[in-house]
Amino acid sequence: MAKRLLDRQIRLLEYLTSGGAIFGDDGNAPLDADLQGIDRARLRLEARFSHEKRMEKIAAVFPRTFDLLGAERGAIVRGFVEACPPLDIGRMENARQFNDFLTARWRVQRPTPPYLPDVAACELACAQARIESDGEPEIDASPAGPAAPRFRRKPGVVLVRASFDIRMLFEGARDDAAVIKRDTPLAIASRDGAPQIFELAPEVFDLLAALDGWAAVDSLPETDGLIAELVDAGLLELQH
Amino acid sequence: MAQRSAAPAVGIGYRAGIRDWTRAHLDRFDVLEVTVDHCIHGDRAQRAAIFDLVGRIPLTAHGIGLSIGTDMPLDLAYLDQAARLVERLDAPAYSEHLAFTRVPGRDLGNLLPLPKTEAVAEAIVAKVRALRSRIPVPFLFENIASVFEWPESNLSDVEFFNLICAESGAGILLDIENLYLNAANHGFDPFEFLDSLPPGLVKQVHMAGGMAVTGDGLPRPFLADSHSHPAPAVTLDLLAYALARHAPAAIVLERDDRLDAADEILGDLERIRACVDAWLKEAHGEAAVGSAD
Repeated sequence: MAKRLLDRQIRLLEYLTSGGAIFGDDGNAPLDADLQGIDRARLRLEARFSHEKRMEKIAAVFPRTFDLLGAERGAIVRGFVEACPPLDIGRMENARQFNDFLTARWRVQRPTPPYLPDVAACELACAQARIESDGEPEIDASPAGPAAPRFRRKPGVVLVRASFDIRMLFEGARDDAAVIKRDTPLAIASRDGAPQIFELAPEVFDLLAALDGWAAVDSLPETDGLIAELVDAGLLELQH
Repeated sequence: MAQRSAAPAVGIGYRAGIRDWTRAHLDRFDVLEVTVDHCIHGDRAQRAAIFDLVGRIPLTAHGIGLSIGTDMPLDLAYLDQAARLVERLDAPAYSEHLAFTRVPGRDLGNLLPLPKTEAVAEAIVAKVRALRSRIPVPFLFENIASVFEWPESNLSDVEFFNLICAESGAGILLDIENLYLNAANHGFDPFEFLDSLPPGLVKQVHMAGGMAVTGDGLPRPFLADSHSHPAPAVTLDLLAYALARHAPAAIVLERDDRLDAADEILGDLERIRACVDAWLKEAHGEAAVGSAD
């Protein structure tokens, strides 16, 4: 009985996203029965094209991380291919997959340089901030009532608690001499498509982290100056 | 012989990477093609920039993520997103590839060919009918550049297209670069392909330029659809040949790589317009001769 086309399409994508097809690691091993009759060299070419396209999307989000991975990059990409097949066409979805893969790897294998996880987290946050900000404001669905001043973390602002101060690397520094190990609470926002990275005091970081939803301004009467500063920086949204 | 001799609109595929350049050169284009997936996956600023073009220049809608060829029911959630965008863009047509890109749990993000059989054609026809009930504008199928072939294919490229289009009412977005690449890579005559399409079936055209790649086990360089270089001269010959048999409403130049080579993009557009002008001159000349008789 002929096998369903869907089953064969699934086998095809499994093969095309495998290290065997992408890197030619499967040598001359026989192709899966569902794929026999298809030219193997052409399948490998297809696998390579698709892989390159996916990695271009990921590299666009993590340019500094890719640089810092250095000689390890090839092995890491191979590991990523085997562990994380592409689930979605989107750049962010693939970038998140790559970041999750790196994070899991760094739990068991110390990253080199040690601040690499912070760089990757910041790069992902920059991409995320760009996606989520710079747009039309969301329509507030809360019921109409007496207008009391309230505020919340601005949508698109991403918080990263870094273990190293890696901001210099995002300001054009070419070497890591300026990278210092210290707790560095960061807020990343996007203005006109350009990421902006702010260092926050720990208590301000915690305040912003807690402001997922609207909060009444008078609940924090002693923070007027701070609120104005955060609004100016584009980290907080204030509604009168 | 073309059914009419109105000039097709000539433009480019809109890309966020050249947003400012595109906006600064709007007067150089008659139309922009918007990829609905760029709206679906793009950030708010990218979407806002696209929607800002509505009313300033005609837009047509193109898709890359429907995966109509996956042997499963249509992805209605995706289709409804596409339908909303087609409406918002005020697009006169919606095009997608006769291909598949994903299966449950994996999305290759690359267009893969289908087995060219009557059974597969029948399944596609049923899906096009469902699609047309949700998206009211004309639906066009684009021919992909296929890297490999399924062994059970027993129809030629053109037979497969003709069968599906005749049964479903879909038109064709003819990618002339893909036609050229397939002809070179798989060994068929692209002019015969064009001769075998019913006149008038091609509603839109894509032009692009690719590159040759090599790979282990490949007996010769493979021509790849990279959208990275100027359209080769042979594709302009094919465009001229297609114009004489069809009456496409739009010709869109696709460019996804080396986007900073603006001169190449404008140069391609000039060559496309020259091709269209030559065809118009010839078509009007023929009509004048005919009327004198």
